[in-house]
Amino acid sequence: MIGAKISRWTMSYFAAALGWLLVALAMLVGGLGYPAAELGAPDTLVVVHAVCIGWLSLSVCGALFQFVPVLVARPLPFDKWALPALFLINVGLVCLILGFLSLAGRIAPAVWLLPAGSVVLGAGLAMVALDLGLTLVSQPKGSALFVIAGLGALCATVALGVAFAFALAGSAGAYGDALLAAAIPIHAIAGLGGWLTLTAMGVSYRLLAMFMLSADLGERQSTSALKFGALALSVAVVGGLFAIGLEAGLGAVLIVAAVLGVISLALYGRDIATIYRSRKRRQLELNMRMATVSFANLAATVTLGTVIIVSGKVGVHVGAFAFLAVFGWLSGLIFAKLYKIVAFLTWLETYGPVMGRAPTPRVQDLAVERRSEKWFIIYFLGVWAATIMLMMGEGQAFRGAAAVMAVGSIGIIHELVRVRRLSDVAGSRRLPAGAIAPSLLFARN
Amino acid sequence: MTAYIDVDVRPILRAGGEPFSIIMDAVDRLAPGQGVRLIASFRPVPLLSVMARKGFAHTDRPLDDGDWEVLFSPLAAEDAGQEDAGAGLAFEQWPDPVVTLDNRELDPPEPMVRILAAAEELGPGETLSALLGREPVFLFPELEKRGFRWLGGFTPDGSTYELSVRAPL
Repeated sequence: MIGAKISRWTMSYFAAALGWLLVALAMLVGGLGYPAAELGAPDTLVVVHAVCIGWLSLSVCGALFQFVPVLVARPLPFDKWALPALFLINVGLVCLILGFLSLAGRIAPAVWLLPAGSVVLGAGLAMVALDLGLTLVSQPKGSALFVIAGLGALCATVALGVAFAFALAGSAGAYGDALLAAAIPIHAIAGLGGWLTLTAMGVSYRLLAMFMLSADLGERQSTSALKFGALALSVAVVGGLFAIGLEAGLGAVLIVAAVLGVISLALYGRDIATIYRSRKRRQLELNMRMATVSFANLAATVTLGTVIIVSGKVGVHVGAFAFLAVFGWLSGLIFAKLYKIVAFLTWLETYGPVMGRAPTPRVQDLAVERRSEKWFIIYFLGVWAATIMLMMGEGQAFRGAAAVMAVGSIGIIHELVRVRRLSDVAGSRRLPAGAIAPSLLFARN
Repeated sequence: MTAYIDVDVRPILRAGGEPFSIIMDAVDRLAPGQGVRLIASFRPVPLLSVMARKGFAHTDRPLDDGDWEVLFSPLAAEDAGQEDAGAGLAFEQWPDPVVTLDNRELDPPEPMVRILAAAEELGPGETLSALLGREPVFLFPELEKRGFRWLGGFTPDGSTYELSVRAPL
């Protein structure tokens, strides 16, 4: 294959992801989890996994099913796995969350839910990783390398998660218990820093160059950010597991990994600045302007992390740090790119068959940027307010800020639904003869 | 003595795939002086002129089972680029384009829209050529569905994608 087809289930992944985001925001607004509960409390784990697996990971997987074949000009070997994997991930996640709720004493005790959920979830994610990974290793260069590293980190995250789940159910032995006691930071770093951030970095190199008409960066330039990122991750995971095995503290390992991670992100920042400077398109679309806000949030996250490490307040503010990384940087970037990807795929699916034969709308005609922009602004204002409230320990005000985030998110989701339904395309161009009206939840062709 | 990298595209062809990008990728990875030994299930005529433009001469021979082996050998630098008038093109050749589009400065997906619109205007067997800033990956399935053939590749400096599209006969 040289051309890329529309991925049938990408929209289904996006829809499930947005559903989980709404669930997670409802829990935050309702006062479930941190800061109402401890950072490591089962209630907090419910919210964290709904956000990181349900919302962030499902969106990234959905985007990768579409993006990876474009990246390496090759079809996925196990195209048919996308839907069963989506099913397994969702079922596994529901079991996992029920397991945490049972751990919290909110539902009847059922310890088996955690290991069972983690295995089902792990199987779904492994199918995704295998399908994408086998495609990517055929062309290991540029953005593909970032995604390969990200998938490696995903495997480490899942393996640790499964070990924790068995340990919580009391069937992982002494080393399992030791892991559960000490390795949670490694699990979080591999998931947020490795899987989600490295993948987002790699994909953004290509998407940014594409959307702004910039030249792709030289191979050597972009891989320097990857080298430091992969090194940071290896130090955190391998070094961390050794330290736990030797019953030494994680402190030194994590400091080294943090320094390497900051270098990686600084190089990434330099690369992104290069892409912006070399762009031919001066007027930026909404998705790029909002991506810029998420990059600023990444810079703010790095700054906040550095300040709390240097001032010795990691224990107090790690929640705010993770919150800003998850909702300011990763969610911000995903929202911004969803806005563009959904419009583009809908346009291609609907009008591809009649292009050149009948007048069709432009991609931009499917969305109304001015109306959508305010939802993004509301969302980001909510994120910043919520982060500040977390740092100030204002639990009630934090819930209010989370409600603002929910309003912004619902607004953006509403705009995405309008795009899918072609609601903003007027008149005879909406569905010329031969065009395929898109379904909300999957691609028809 | 030229060293050859083997590229066997028969499995891709059998699976109904389009091997062009695989071949171009192999070509991009060649060390100076290296060539490509291509094994295909038919004689890849349009590829010959594309490879000639990239600076490769070719010799080909049928294999026992109906497959073809084509040896692409790098020409000396001064010969490269002049191959259009040279050895490779005594075979079937696409006619000169009736439309030439320069889509390099257009925002995606405008290049795709314009190419499809122009392609619909072609007469049977006529060709168009287009210059693009990127490989138009989403265009190819649409061309395929409409029965068009195409050939494309990046210029050696990687800055421009040259695409030829031929209407069905």
